[in-house]
Amino acid sequence: MRRILLLSGVILTALLLQTTIFAELNLLGAKPELVYLLTIVFAILEGPASGAIAGFAGGMAQDFLLDAPKGITALTLTLLGYAMGMARQYIVSPSPALPVLLVAGGTFAGVVFHGVVSFLLGELDTSWLYLIRIAFLSALYNAILTPLVYPVLRRAAEGSRSRRVLRW
Amino acid sequence: MALRNRARSTRLLVVTLVSVSLVTITVDYRQGEEGPLAEMGSAALTVISPLQEAVSKVTHPIGNFFSTLFRLPSIRRENQELRDQVAALEQEVATTRADLDRLAALEALLGLQASLGRKTETTAAQVIANGVSNFEWSITIDKGSSDGIVEDMPVVANAGLVGHIVRVGPSSSVVQLIIDPDSFVAGRLDVSRGMGLLSGEGGSDLRMSLVEATVEVAPGERVVTAGYRIPGDVQSLYPPNILIGTVSRVLPQESALENLVTVRPAVDFSTLDLVLVVLSSDGGE
Repeated sequence: MRRILLLSGVILTALLLQTTIFAELNLLGAKPELVYLLTIVFAILEGPASGAIAGFAGGMAQDFLLDAPKGITALTLTLLGYAMGMARQYIVSPSPALPVLLVAGGTFAGVVFHGVVSFLLGELDTSWLYLIRIAFLSALYNAILTPLVYPVLRRAAEGSRSRRVLRW
Repeated sequence: MALRNRARSTRLLVVTLVSVSLVTITVDYRQGEEGPLAEMGSAALTVISPLQEAVSKVTHPIGNFFSTLFRLPSIRRENQELRDQVAALEQEVATTRADLDRLAALEALLGLQASLGRKTETTAAQVIANGVSNFEWSITIDKGSSDGIVEDMPVVANAGLVGHIVRVGPSSSVVQLIIDPDSFVAGRLDVSRGMGLLSGEGGSDLRMSLVEATVEVAPGERVVTAGYRIPGDVQSLYPPNILIGTVSRVLPQESALENLVTVRPAVDFSTLDLVLVVLSSDGGE
């Protein structure tokens, strides 16, 4: 229950920040993809199942605020959360740079995947060049934000884990 | 054994979530604008827009502060330019005011005002949030259906055309900006009188296509909306003669049939704060 509350709170905060303050603080015209960032960090901290759930919930929340077919972001982030959680299990590296690298790679792959699915549905109205540029820039932006977000989320996740009621 | 069970249940979970996503995509894609999912979308908008408004009030100064820091050199230059302009304009205003009064009187006399929409009704709205995605250029404003706003209404700002309403909630609505790649506006060149279709290009300048090759376009020329009305019920989305922007470049002709022109929007979309929604362009016609 606490984790559901935590997850909803974190997703809502991310969406609010992304549409308000980060709309003004853009990096060469790109906003960070905060929901992607959260999904990847959750997957790293809690494993593939939690990653998939966080991605699905965050993706659906973002989709319902968009004027595009709903579900594309949810699909992307479910797979991304699962893949990142699996990847984390196979990489044994204590390096503190690991989350940053995973976030950068995961965001890039996720944004491109989202673009490909949109293209298949005839919903991609931008050029491929723009897509790659945005994927790169938002990956970079997310990577920069990771050292700020990661410790906060880790503490929050650990706090909510201490009284585990149900295991995802 | 327990480990394998967990891996299997994780896979099952992922397959379930992916299926739900796919079903959502399909259902929403087939239903388009008016299905239960679209309604849930506007419900989500209703819930989140007051929060956005609150957060925006707090973070707007912070965001402003940082974006000002980044743009300090250009702001300094702009400041100097503006000072020069103010001096020049003050001079001009003094001489123009008297002329303007006379002009207004003459215009009223000629009934010109009617053609510009004498009964244009507008409502002012505050921008409370920007679009959530990097692939959608939209803003959320704090007026909705309870203020008489419906879809497709044009939105303007002091400087010029902003866009049109695409989604309406009870007390907020979403405006698609003219720089969105989904947006198309019929435009007319001010001096050379050429017509064309302006489409959004995201962050960069608008692209004006279908301008006939015989029209001689000069950079710096103003582009305004071309209102049209076909007797019956077809009518352009935007009222005529609203400033869209100025021609920034005339591209070398790719084919002999049309000019390709890029247009810099008159409105600075990154600093939009107050906009006007045009409720009716000429008294319910």
